[in-house]
Amino acid sequence: MSELAALGISGLPLLVVPHPLGGERPESVTRKAHQAAEQLASLLGADATPRTSLRPPEVGTGLTDPATTDLVTTDDPQAVLAEFCERGWCDGLPVIPPTEERVRAMLGGAPPERSLGAMPPLWRGATLEKLAVNAVMAGCEPAAFPVIVAAVEAMLDPAFNLYGVQATTHPVAPLVIVHGPVAGRLGVHAGSGCFGPGFRANATIGRAIRLILMNVGGAWPGRHDMATQGSPAKFSYCIAERADASPWGPLRADDAVTVFGGEAPHNVNDHVSTGAAGILATVADTAVSLGSNVGWFLAQSQLLVVLGPEHAATIAGDGLTRADVQRYVFEHARLPLRTLKLGGMWGMQDWPAWMSAVRDDDALLPQVPSPDDVFVIVAGGPGKHSSVVPNCTFSRAVSRPVEARGR
Amino acid sequence: MTRIRVLSPVGQARAENFTAPPLPADLAGLTVGFIDNTKHNFDRLADELGTLLRARYGVKAVVRRRKGNASVPASPETLAELAKECDLVFAGSGD
Repeated sequence: MSELAALGISGLPLLVVPHPLGGERPESVTRKAHQAAEQLASLLGADATPRTSLRPPEVGTGLTDPATTDLVTTDDPQAVLAEFCERGWCDGLPVIPPTEERVRAMLGGAPPERSLGAMPPLWRGATLEKLAVNAVMAGCEPAAFPVIVAAVEAMLDPAFNLYGVQATTHPVAPLVIVHGPVAGRLGVHAGSGCFGPGFRANATIGRAIRLILMNVGGAWPGRHDMATQGSPAKFSYCIAERADASPWGPLRADDAVTVFGGEAPHNVNDHVSTGAAGILATVADTAVSLGSNVGWFLAQSQLLVVLGPEHAATIAGDGLTRADVQRYVFEHARLPLRTLKLGGMWGMQDWPAWMSAVRDDDALLPQVPSPDDVFVIVAGGPGKHSSVVPNCTFSRAVSRPVEARGR
Repeated sequence: MTRIRVLSPVGQARAENFTAPPLPADLAGLTVGFIDNTKHNFDRLADELGTLLRARYGVKAVVRRRKGNASVPASPETLAELAKECDLVFAGSGD
């Protein structure tokens, strides 16, 4: 498999059990065990030459490993797009050709050979040059490059578990939240429709992150990015905070980036509540469902609540602080044990001992380990909507400062 | 139309080399381990495969260790235990 090849590992014997295993009936598992036992006979005593006959079939794109060599082409936009698509170098949308001149401008004097580390799942070097190439392709302005660098640094923090985020079947995408005055300087939009189209900084920073995850990390849909259905958030996922509309101030006031391994936003519609109680009840209800991954691996589970300015003002008008909102969601975004037993990841959960000891089917169990694992920010424009972004249950949010250019 | 040169966006792979040792020719009398990735039915698969390994291949003992959850690597302690106890280990992957 190419992940092994990327790691320089050869000759690892692979016993291939046909997918799926999960959700299969016992007789199917028995059949697969027998097939595996028979297959094992051909592996025993074999030498360490590559066992090509045991390679699992490529699924999905059918692409071979993308070429790493530079390309000479014409400057015709359609030809460029065709070339990039053919090579498996882009997300399917038109790109700005990453010429050496444009990449140099994107770097802005930063050392191109500096590596932020090896990016999973293929553990390729995340050098500033490669980040800049992808940022040019995405249409970023050079001023945004420090945000991209900070976001990649954050994603490579082990707490973020980028390997899991990249390779999982879950539809997770890193949401990039830009904090501080830098968001305004770059034009990262925090107002009406902030999760959607129309704003170059949001669109291109988020897209650059995705291109980096695909081209540097090597996570292509159906080939290392094993998301069953994926998510529109995988095209681009970047917002800023409405510090001006938050009754509690921003989550962070300094120039910084937070990456949050989340699903696409879940809508919180409350047109009728005149106080905190109704809005928070609606938020908490949206934050929990049997189909959510949140809560199954409790230590890594987190929720992001993105309050619209009107909802935030109503909640604050009743005297609630940000900590109160966190506590409320922690206490009320819960399902009874009897519901959790119905499906989801029941039997695969990684819970603390006290939760595993609960036998009362009516007991309400938490989705996240503490109120601090409920992040509350304000974003959006006029209207009675907020959103909840559940995480993937195996990645913790990480923040990094955005370094000023030339430092 | 003008010819242009564009830089590859693809990251460079690391240049380490490791060749896994071949499996033994015979499993008779050996201890075999499984790292359970916690995904549904892996425990059942490992149980059944373990039974077959003992019956067909003469495996002496089967050891199973479960990861904390599917998204984390097996702990260093688990790996050390398996390395000490087992002649051969299967690591479950996928779901």
